[in-house]
Amino acid sequence: MEGGNQVELNMIVNGKKHNIDINPSDRLLDVLRDQLGLTSVKEGCGEGECGACTVIMNGDAVNSCTVLAIQARNKEIITTEGLEKNGELDELQKSFIRNGAIQCGFCTPGMLMSCKALLMKNPYPKEEEIRRAIEGNLCRCTGYTNIVKAVKDVVIR
Amino acid sequence: MMTEGNYKYIGKSVPRHDAIEKATGKIKYVGDMKVNGMLYARLVLSHVAHGKIKSIDISKAKDLPGVVDIFTYDNSPKILYNAHKWMSGMDEVLDQYLFTDKVRFYGDRVAAVVATNDKIAKMAADLIEVEYEVLPAIIDPETSLIEDSIKIHERGNIAFSKTMGYGDVDKVFDKASYIFEDKIITPKQHHAAMETHVALAIPSGDMITIYTPCQVVFQVQLIVSEALNIPLSKVRVIKAPMGGSFGGKGQPIIEPVCAFLAKETGRPVRLTLDRTQSIIGTRTRHKTIGTVKTAVDKKGKILGRDLDIVIDSGAYHTNASAIAMAMGKKFFRMYKMDNVRYSATSVYTNTPVGGACRGYGSPQLHAITELNLDNVARGINMDPVEFRLKNLVHPFDKDPMGGPDLGNGQIIECVKRGAEAFGWKEKWKRPKDSGRYRKGVGMACGTHGNGYYGAYPDFITMDIKMNSNGEVILNSAIHDMGCGTVTIMQQIVAEVLDLELSKITVLEGDTLSSPYDSAGTQASRVTYVCGGAAKKISEILKDKFAKYSSKILNCYEEDIVMEGGYIYNKNKPDKKVGYGDMVSNIYHQYSMDMSASYTYSSPANPGVYAANFVEVEVDTYTGLVNVLDIVAVHDIGRAINRDFVYGQVQGGIHLGLGMAISENIELDENGRISTLNFSNYHVINAPSMPDVRIILIEEEDEFGPFGAKSVGEISAVAIAPATLNAINNAIGTNISQYPATPERIVEALVKTKK
Repeated sequence: MEGGNQVELNMIVNGKKHNIDINPSDRLLDVLRDQLGLTSVKEGCGEGECGACTVIMNGDAVNSCTVLAIQARNKEIITTEGLEKNGELDELQKSFIRNGAIQCGFCTPGMLMSCKALLMKNPYPKEEEIRRAIEGNLCRCTGYTNIVKAVKDVVIR
Repeated sequence: MMTEGNYKYIGKSVPRHDAIEKATGKIKYVGDMKVNGMLYARLVLSHVAHGKIKSIDISKAKDLPGVVDIFTYDNSPKILYNAHKWMSGMDEVLDQYLFTDKVRFYGDRVAAVVATNDKIAKMAADLIEVEYEVLPAIIDPETSLIEDSIKIHERGNIAFSKTMGYGDVDKVFDKASYIFEDKIITPKQHHAAMETHVALAIPSGDMITIYTPCQVVFQVQLIVSEALNIPLSKVRVIKAPMGGSFGGKGQPIIEPVCAFLAKETGRPVRLTLDRTQSIIGTRTRHKTIGTVKTAVDKKGKILGRDLDIVIDSGAYHTNASAIAMAMGKKFFRMYKMDNVRYSATSVYTNTPVGGACRGYGSPQLHAITELNLDNVARGINMDPVEFRLKNLVHPFDKDPMGGPDLGNGQIIECVKRGAEAFGWKEKWKRPKDSGRYRKGVGMACGTHGNGYYGAYPDFITMDIKMNSNGEVILNSAIHDMGCGTVTIMQQIVAEVLDLELSKITVLEGDTLSSPYDSAGTQASRVTYVCGGAAKKISEILKDKFAKYSSKILNCYEEDIVMEGGYIYNKNKPDKKVGYGDMVSNIYHQYSMDMSASYTYSSPANPGVYAANFVEVEVDTYTGLVNVLDIVAVHDIGRAINRDFVYGQVQGGIHLGLGMAISENIELDENGRISTLNFSNYHVINAPSMPDVRIILIEEEDEFGPFGAKSVGEISAVAIAPATLNAINNAIGTNISQYPATPERIVEALVKTKK
């Protein structure tokens, strides 16, 4: 509820410490988008079914639309904005571009986060594991083919 | 033939122009845009399928701090419009208001709330209490045909009907020894673009500027102008990055509402729909019920075909007539037959509204006819591939209805090549499984078009200019929907002018600055028609550049060579001048600018064809279908960007496979919808989606740019019937209602046992 009791939230987002005031009912999705301006995080369904809002929280891919912002207290969040290092794209981003894994691009940040979380835990995933890792990320454009291919390509390299 | 020709840019798989912006999440979709003073709007949609609004209590919503205004039928324009109308002069049934006083489906627009932030707008929308006088509803389109005591619209429940054909169908069916009849139902499908509907309208003086992920900027402008009764010149529409459409954002559904809210509040307004609202309150693929009869002789020659199709238009007309005509057109363009009749009736029902959806009727038409053809083949004990090969059209056949020529249609080659790659013969003859898991194979053919030539005006004006840096700007009202349209145009311009892609800027639709385009990004016309225009105007610029350069270089025009950004006299190859320097020279010496404008009118509309082959494994205990293999063969003329073509096919197959096995907007007998989000509206996810083996037949079309034809919609046409044919083949059923959900499969198996 607007104007309700604000609470303080400390979290690390893309390597940067944030100390902000939020409403206890705020979704992580809204705080990231509206308060921190990280608009790579998309809302596609609001129910944790499409994965467009996926971010990495302490190493796990989570749907930020079903996570309350306060659940991120003292945790480390990565969004697509945090993949680029010193002006250079992450290998996964480059591979998505190279392999035609991006069409309309709306699912892309969420896909990248799910794939990145997978690779952080399992640098050599099998195809089945890649598909499993993105089972909660819907894409209407690509049939997933080139997304899976892009992850495999990173692994090979 | 996989020839790449002698092209430098055509056929190459370069990444789409905005891939980096998308991969970094930096691209701003409308939902990511913020402007000073922006307000946020949310809609209230009907929760009854049919009823008169008795009262709307907005008091609680209005009291919520942050609510700026609330709009309903009572304080909004009473101007009827039809969002399907994409150009002036189209005579369409006008039956929608911005907000209605009589709701006609679960999802009809009742009110909008404008607030200082999105959360408040949503909360306020939930606080609006609508009281209805509930009316009896018609959910089933066949009921609508005969039920006249319930009137959804005053004009009756038949939205459109048309019969067309040739030959003597009745006589053939009287005499034929083999007649096969099926009644087949196709689902209401949600487009499921990952981006829900969203628009941003900014008032400034008496002008309203609208940012929207749309398919036709001039259509949005026209509809806003008509619905709000403001001049065209006061409405500016800018195509924004598109998070997927598939036809769902083709008609301006929320733009006129958003523009109205901005006009009334005098402030920028962003209107966003949530997923549920996008599913129920926008457009759907039309549900259809087709009764198809095919007469054959014992050798497998089709003697005649008769299709009676009921199209569920939903609660409003929109494109009820256009979809019926578009479907009918395809009915005559794939098999050679002497006696054919197509009868379509579009009816109103109290259900979500039909609109364009990838394939524009072709997926439904083929879902019906190609299922029936397998039953014919089975009935005369013939391999369905052999049977189709006997009857398919040949390259350069004519349209028997007098429509545009089919052109170099390669459906026979598609079927032959696909059957070979798939291993059809062996798989078809394989003994049937009898255990829990049963494999089966199926195939289907499909056809679609290349624009509107022969039906509607199909032209586009493009402006091109080369600047003194040797860079080129192509200005036209194209819309990249994520398919790679901008890059396709760059590749075409690059090929003609021999200039690297990074030096070519291709603009997208903006009604204020783009030259006019008659039909937008629909009807599979962009590569074929707009690409044809890009090629033509590049050639015009090239000729003009050569003409002036030859004067400066003191040589014949035909001796001028343009190569990799340098222009020279072929007899003096050591004296190369950069394009930019030459442009500058022409400015100074001839007071002439290197620009051109051209209106390109499409000269043709050939058929584009595909054959899909599918192998499935059905779990007879659970009814679950595992798709093991798909071979998709496409007659595309020529690939401008090979990876993009593959991407279109992969995406089209995904959408069509959903139609085959899992996707349907479910309604109960009162018109209430249960598939309100992706938790129960099942879009196929990655573990369930097979890779598609794609084969391209590249026999050039005479009129397409570099021989190219369309691929975006045809890719979604043949997969559903091919899959259902495979399922029926696996388990010996005759399931005739899409999608073949586990429940339907188990039910069909139980019936087969009895």
